[in-house]
Amino acid sequence: MRAKIVGVPVLDQEKALEFYTTKLDFIKKVDVPVGNDRWLTVVSKEEPDGAEVLLEPAPLHFEPARTYQKALFDAGIPYTQFNVDNVQHEYERLLGLGVEFSVKPTEMGTVKIAVLNDTCGNNIQLVEML
Amino acid sequence: MTYYESEVLKLKKIMYPNSGQLDAIRGTRNYLDKNCSEDLNLDVISGARYMSKFHLLRLFKKYYGQTPIQYLTDKRIEKAKACLKTGMSISETCFAIGFDSPSSFSTLFKSKTGRTPSEFQKSNFHNAGLSLHADLASS
Repeated sequence: MRAKIVGVPVLDQEKALEFYTTKLDFIKKVDVPVGNDRWLTVVSKEEPDGAEVLLEPAPLHFEPARTYQKALFDAGIPYTQFNVDNVQHEYERLLGLGVEFSVKPTEMGTVKIAVLNDTCGNNIQLVEML
Repeated sequence: MTYYESEVLKLKKIMYPNSGQLDAIRGTRNYLDKNCSEDLNLDVISGARYMSKFHLLRLFKKYYGQTPIQYLTDKRIEKAKACLKTGMSISETCFAIGFDSPSSFSTLFKSKTGRTPSEFQKSNFHNAGLSLHADLASS
């Protein structure tokens, strides 16, 4: 058994694909039509053989998923997190691209974190090991 | 401030009250990152940070959740993957990351990644080939 997929619920798959590829620098890996939606995954450009992020449309079709996603978002809680080499550098780069942050780069013991809005209903945490 | 940020700041005060201790342990990790290809053991690592090895071991595990040697091993395996991806041979990779024996390196690599170094290298060349084909097809 292997863990290959990290699911991220999104309110709009096309918008999510745009955000994750043009802002977060992921690359599209799999895009297969499934009914009116898509099985849509992206991977890190730095680690294309790593885990795939599945941009899943669950909040559009399952009300509890939408409720849960909104509750996390409103509390500022990250749905998931991605590792970066330098949080401050990524924060400045993404600010320059118009990305909004709810937590600016903050040291938390052995990590530095920042939290951004993925514009598709989620907070995403960036993490740098210190 | 969001609920999450306020909780993070609250936990930070509870979990990391001793900034001197934290700096020392972060410094140890930094030392391991910079010297991971060297012949390191707990005596060398603790000596570099002027700490007793038992104190260092306890604190490193407390802050990073693994021992310095476990951390070092993971770091070396990551470095080995990067070397193998560039096409470096298994024995060159083994010596580049601070191991003496290619066979013990291969055994460790398999236990950590699920694949032998040569299997890992083959699958990466295969993926690189697929990616190149995809790039050519989309251009």
